[in-house]
Amino acid sequence: MRILSLNNVTKTFGGLVAVAGVSCGVDRGAVVGLIGPNGAGKTTVFNMITGSTRPDDGHIFFAGHSIRGLRPHRIVALGIARTFQTIRLFPGLSVLENVLSGCHCRMRSGLVSSLLRLPGQRREERLVIERAMAELEFVGLAGLWRSTAGSLAYGDQRRLEIARALATEPRLLILDEPAGGMNEQETQELAALVGSIRDRDVTIMLIEHDMGFVMPVCDQLLVMENGILIAQGTPQEIQNNPKVVEAYLGLDEDA
Amino acid sequence: MTAGPGNGNGGGGGIWGTCLTGVGVLAFAFLPSILFSLSRNSAPYWLDVLNTVGLYTILALSLNVILGHAGMFHMGHAAFFAIGAYATAILNTSFGWSIMATMPVAALAAGLVAAVVAWPIIHLRGDYLLIVTIGIVEIVRIAITNDIFGLTGGSNGMYGISRPSFFGFTLIKPEHFFYFIWLTVGLTVLLFHWLENSRFGRALKFIKEDTVAAESMGVNTTRYKLMAFVIGAAWAGLAGTIFASRMKTISPESFTFSESVLLFTIVILGGKGSQRGVLLGSFLVMGLPEFFRGFQDKRILVFGAALVVMMIFRPQGLLPSKPSRYRLPGTLSERYGGQEAGDKPPPLPGGDGPGPVA
Repeated sequence: MRILSLNNVTKTFGGLVAVAGVSCGVDRGAVVGLIGPNGAGKTTVFNMITGSTRPDDGHIFFAGHSIRGLRPHRIVALGIARTFQTIRLFPGLSVLENVLSGCHCRMRSGLVSSLLRLPGQRREERLVIERAMAELEFVGLAGLWRSTAGSLAYGDQRRLEIARALATEPRLLILDEPAGGMNEQETQELAALVGSIRDRDVTIMLIEHDMGFVMPVCDQLLVMENGILIAQGTPQEIQNNPKVVEAYLGLDEDA
Repeated sequence: MTAGPGNGNGGGGGIWGTCLTGVGVLAFAFLPSILFSLSRNSAPYWLDVLNTVGLYTILALSLNVILGHAGMFHMGHAAFFAIGAYATAILNTSFGWSIMATMPVAALAAGLVAAVVAWPIIHLRGDYLLIVTIGIVEIVRIAITNDIFGLTGGSNGMYGISRPSFFGFTLIKPEHFFYFIWLTVGLTVLLFHWLENSRFGRALKFIKEDTVAAESMGVNTTRYKLMAFVIGAAWAGLAGTIFASRMKTISPESFTFSESVLLFTIVILGGKGSQRGVLLGSFLVMGLPEFFRGFQDKRILVFGAALVVMMIFRPQGLLPSKPSRYRLPGTLSERYGGQEAGDKPPPLPGGDGPGPVA
């Protein structure tokens, strides 16, 4: 079953065509990797799915809803959560509060019940703290719940971002270079984490350059180059696709 | 019992902080008697000063929701104060409403105007928003000076506003207003403290820290900014009611741009987002100059210089806001520590957690 489909999605910035008519689909429960050289338009695709960039053309459907042009908070409420390529936590707030930001969209308390601290509001606060702590336990950061997010080690910040995204109770989780800047061991742990997220029936889409991470973790790969989707298939198919080898794998990307 | 963050005490550490705050509040409650026993002649004057401080505390606390919590640079707060004061004056003098009956209407009127004017500008960033809010306060002042709809009495203002009364008891003397105003301050502190430590307050905090990230985590940033603006404005309207009934006469010059700047200064000087800071700021900005009346205009110069020095050496304010405290419920608290214990790193659970950060 398709949970997400992109239909001819296009985005131009000034004269630059960042994404040119991308059409693809993501099956529910899959781990899908979006790969390609720098500047291929991968992050723009993610930004369009999560609503932070509005496509110029095309359609995006998520679980039966057309989500094109919706504001990010509406898309989160529908069940798509994300992390950022450059970590974007609330660095001055505590680890717990960061996760509580993800819980926000599943809470009900409004202005009046908050202003008067009504019983329902207090009950919800207690429940939501338990919920946030459960996510912190899931990523292994519960012991650091009151530390300031900005003071965490790099790998922990990445995991906190994932916990925060999971707190929104997503059906689709979008990870933009989750292993970026991680060492070998941290990357291994991340791969295990991605596996256990999938076990929670959360579909995952991720951008990653580390092929050692991508190949074993993903069921499906989408390959982009210059704003165009040049190939899709299983990691084995992609590895043997001559177009991909030429465009990406054969190329020393930073050289 | 309470799982919510930081209960009640606004002071420093734990039980001693609570006690100290309690003693302070109690001493404050007896202040009128103390002042009268010290000097029967000057007591009303000092009570008047304290009442002014109290009124500005209410106003600054309401601005603090907008400027401190939501981080929106709003320098037109006197506009909403004016709308509240004029709503009370008009309803009281022209329609014979009792003062307390006008209070909710004053708050509503200020909130409504805030919603209408903020709607198109709420997305503006920092400096742009600042300029527009300066425009708002000027428009309101000019409108009331020009006797808009023939209701506001033009530049002469409005007079003959009644005193507030509760169950047949009318507030007349400064000591009456002292209790009225400072109880309102207490109520404001309590309500806004709860608001700050709730889903609503957290949403504002996320917006202030990083609006894009807040939106991406599911916070309707536009809506929350607008709500913060409206609640702050409504509370300023409520303060307007108290002001009008205390002065009995109001005129446009009470609601100028410089009043807005003064409120802005109180919040920035005390510490954005910190209620204790705002309280201190009100005393320093509105109360302290009264002690130096002998120096006449030079005191303003000294005050200005002190502000400059402050902003250089302590830009976060005198009493900056502290992080919210959370208590973990039940078993979680046993595992990970329920109470906030200073800055020490928390005890780590056996084995599975990551190492502490250096």
